[in-house]
Amino acid sequence: MSHASHKSLRNTLVLVTLIVLGFIMLIPLIWTVLLSLKANGELMRSTANAFHGPYTLENYIDILNNSSVFRWLMNSVIVSGLTTLGVLVLSSLAGYGFARLDFPGRDKLFLFVLFGLAIPEQAVIITRHQLFTALHLHNSYPGLILPGLAAPFGVFLMTQYFRAIPKELDEAALLDNASRFQVFWKVLLPLTLPAQATLGIFTFLASWNEYWWPLISATRSEMFTLTVGLAASQINFAQTSGLGYLMTQAVFAATPILVVYIIFQKYIVKAVSGAAAR
Amino acid sequence: MKKLLLAVALLALGSCSEKSEVTEISVQRIFGECRANVPKGQPPLRNPDGECEIVTQILDDFEKRNPDIRLKVNIAPWPGYDQLSAQYAAGDPPDVVTMHMSVMPDFVSRGLIEPLDADFAKVGLDVNNFTPAARNGVTVKGHVYGMPFDNWTQLWHINMGLFQKAGLVRDGQPILPHSPDELLAQARQFKQATGLPYLLQPTDNERAAFTRNIYTYLLDQNAVFFPDNKHIRLDTPEARRIVELFRQIYAEGLMAPAQDYPAAMAAFLNGQGGICMVGTWMIGAFEAEANTPGRPLSAGYAVRPYPMLYGGKQTAYVDGHAWVMPRRERTPEQRAAVIRLMKFLQQRDYDWSRTGHLPTQADIARSPQYLGLPHRDGIVALATVGQTLPAGVERQIAIQDIIGDEMASAITGHKPVAQALKDAEHRVNDLLFHVL
Repeated sequence: MSHASHKSLRNTLVLVTLIVLGFIMLIPLIWTVLLSLKANGELMRSTANAFHGPYTLENYIDILNNSSVFRWLMNSVIVSGLTTLGVLVLSSLAGYGFARLDFPGRDKLFLFVLFGLAIPEQAVIITRHQLFTALHLHNSYPGLILPGLAAPFGVFLMTQYFRAIPKELDEAALLDNASRFQVFWKVLLPLTLPAQATLGIFTFLASWNEYWWPLISATRSEMFTLTVGLAASQINFAQTSGLGYLMTQAVFAATPILVVYIIFQKYIVKAVSGAAAR
Repeated sequence: MKKLLLAVALLALGSCSEKSEVTEISVQRIFGECRANVPKGQPPLRNPDGECEIVTQILDDFEKRNPDIRLKVNIAPWPGYDQLSAQYAAGDPPDVVTMHMSVMPDFVSRGLIEPLDADFAKVGLDVNNFTPAARNGVTVKGHVYGMPFDNWTQLWHINMGLFQKAGLVRDGQPILPHSPDELLAQARQFKQATGLPYLLQPTDNERAAFTRNIYTYLLDQNAVFFPDNKHIRLDTPEARRIVELFRQIYAEGLMAPAQDYPAAMAAFLNGQGGICMVGTWMIGAFEAEANTPGRPLSAGYAVRPYPMLYGGKQTAYVDGHAWVMPRRERTPEQRAAVIRLMKFLQQRDYDWSRTGHLPTQADIARSPQYLGLPHRDGIVALATVGQTLPAGVERQIAIQDIIGDEMASAITGHKPVAQALKDAEHRVNDLLFHVL
């Protein structure tokens, strides 16, 4: 067997393996979608009914007929969008500062920020709730957005990314009479776009899926995010009597995230491959 | 022009005063959202006996009949206590909220919900009409703290077709055991005749079911398992008898193994077992199957309270849903509106009992209308003889989880029965010791 045909066979095998693995990964998603297209009564008898017709859009119509669902969707978009924007701005500025500026206590402060990575949300939830109560921030957008802005991972990621960019670029720009902010804004920031995309999508994803904090901070239904609103919509024992509806909720909540992922996919791949090359 | 201005001003004033006559109260409930099935002001388009559909319609109807009261309905994710606790912490609990009777002691002991005796008396909401099970469930330290909405309990849902095949039907009625030995004998007879397990019950990822069994059969033996509100007694011969019985049932394959809640329900619907031990809330779904030609349950479906196995009088462990009034600042008008809502809910007891849950009002429990609902005549006695845990016992849900854990370990053979009971007792007492 020639070297070329051996390589071709190997590539085919890799491809087939990847297709099989990809399909295995997709099975739960396909199953979820099929379940969402079935009547609840049928699924109560057997979930295997999902693999054959008749299918129905009844559960989707029910979700769309819920008068509050678009409000919750809007809340989620606002909260996730502004949280993501805030994290990108703050993490980029902080990352630039830690990577490029010399100021007293910089390394200690950076270490202090990194400690945040080791502190789980559960450890601070009561004090945070009390703080937000004192500030009358519950049931408000700031109440939902502000906790997400403290993003030690984002600061760490952006710091590392800025550090990897050659300092000669800054120096050349400074020689051209650029201010510090211009160096940051016009020279370095565009180079961090892949990292921004990665951080952005992770932040958006985490914020979109956040359940606990919105559950206890946004207690009025007009301020529910989609996760809390959909959970509140579930009937008792939904896993038995309302499985199709439950799966429809999952599809409905996941769709915007999938759209965001598809839009930013090339940036994420670029960021990952860039990191690997470095 | 002056007249016109005066008219506009009067009109504006008029609208102001009209607006201020409407009292708004916040109502928080569980049971899900189903506005798609119940368009405002209309009867349910689908699933008319569903919990969500009925409660939605009742609250709509209240608003329609009480135009001076506006309900701001908040639907909380089940069971609702994380959110409610957070609302208390933020100083913003709702005006009225659904609460399990088993949870009420936790809120009463902290002064978080209000006694309602005086308010009920003022509006003629007759607490003497509460069924004994309901009254016990909402009474703590001699005061009524809630408007009982229902009682619910585990029942024996029976596949009569399979029972017939197993020779366990006499005069159209299922033959049920009266002792542990009879239970084992009938279960073996059933399995031999049908090749199927006698009992179906969630065994996996489910803590409540085993606990409810043990509570009911401890009550059957008149065992005092809460000698006081801070201690449980489970390391006893009475408890051992129950757990060893269920362990033997499981070991002999007389109970389907490795089933979670949906699997156990599906198994019963598909005729894969004789008896499904599950709550009042499944009557409607099973009855619908029984009325569908060609389905396994269409050969016959019956519902019975747990048969007493140890010679005691008929009883069962029950819990229930109630409506309570959180302690918070509110105007006298808001307080009056809450009580009016509760009185309205009392009057709609029949509607809610269509869910399968037991009625909480004695007149409804006796009414031909209620008794005319499928299978209700067979279970209505539980509204009288059903027993909640002692009203002062806190953390009942956590206790249920602990006991359920240990019982599951013992019944499935992962832990010796005596050890499991000892551990359950120790863990519950430790929990109660640390309750502030």
